[in-house]
Amino acid sequence: MKRHSPTRRLTLITMLLAMSILMHMIEPSLPIPIPGVKLGLANILGLITMFLFGIKSMIMLNFMRVIIASLLRGIIFGTGFWLSMGGVILSTFITIVLHKKSKLSPVGLSVASSAFHGLGQILVLMFINDTVMMIYWLPLLWFSSVPTGMVTGTLSAQVLKRLKV
Amino acid sequence: MTFSMNKYDKILIIVILISSLLLYGTMEWFVRSTTSDQTVAVVSYRDKEILRVDMKIDDTYIVQGTLGEVFIEVESGRIRVEKETSPYNLCSIQGWVEYANVPIVCLPNHIVVMIQNSEEDPNGEDSVIQ
Repeated sequence: MKRHSPTRRLTLITMLLAMSILMHMIEPSLPIPIPGVKLGLANILGLITMFLFGIKSMIMLNFMRVIIASLLRGIIFGTGFWLSMGGVILSTFITIVLHKKSKLSPVGLSVASSAFHGLGQILVLMFINDTVMMIYWLPLLWFSSVPTGMVTGTLSAQVLKRLKV
Repeated sequence: MTFSMNKYDKILIIVILISSLLLYGTMEWFVRSTTSDQTVAVVSYRDKEILRVDMKIDDTYIVQGTLGEVFIEVESGRIRVEKETSPYNLCSIQGWVEYANVPIVCLPNHIVVMIQNSEEDPNGEDSVIQ
């Protein structure tokens, strides 16, 4: 990570944030046949930010992304917002822990983050619906987190290889 | 710094795949072992119970949902929504349900079908003698 002037750094992070909000907003319109499963394209930007600007920037980017995208969509503090929030809290947490404690590449980090995003969403659903039944969805989410995480992880690895900032 | 996949990634992926399969297996086993022979299906409309169906009797039931009539069919211990009016027809596509872990939810119709163990305990006769 190179030292940037604060203005340049701020501009770059803001552009990454804008892109991740865009990904977050267009994601529901992508046709995926399995209910509850999505690609998690916004996580590409989260990973790129972490490798380029460090952990603090990624935390900020992920939370701002959820809050601003929910504001734009008009669902802030609704069920969808809390689902995204639960997912993003756990996935950001596990990405930071694994990045610090292990030698995982972006692909592995993305798979782990995708799995924990699913876990976070299910925990929120269990809390909102007041039922443990939602846990039956977890095996499917974890199983599908491997292909989706590998797609987003590979994409961010390819971007990181080519991107010079 | 290299960004390509390494052996730790492969280990993580295998761990996640195995744990998802193990979780699935445990849950299936748990549901099968806790579902008794006598089950009832509880049909509710907007969280209010409107019908209680004995899963032993093959029959077709019609309940009124928000968008129209919902046809519920029981056959050999399984239950399904046969036909209903909704944009995507997800609950009739879902098909047969036999165990208590999967509810049938017709969200546009506000109809939920859930399988429960019936209260009548097959060994309960002794306990009601006073």
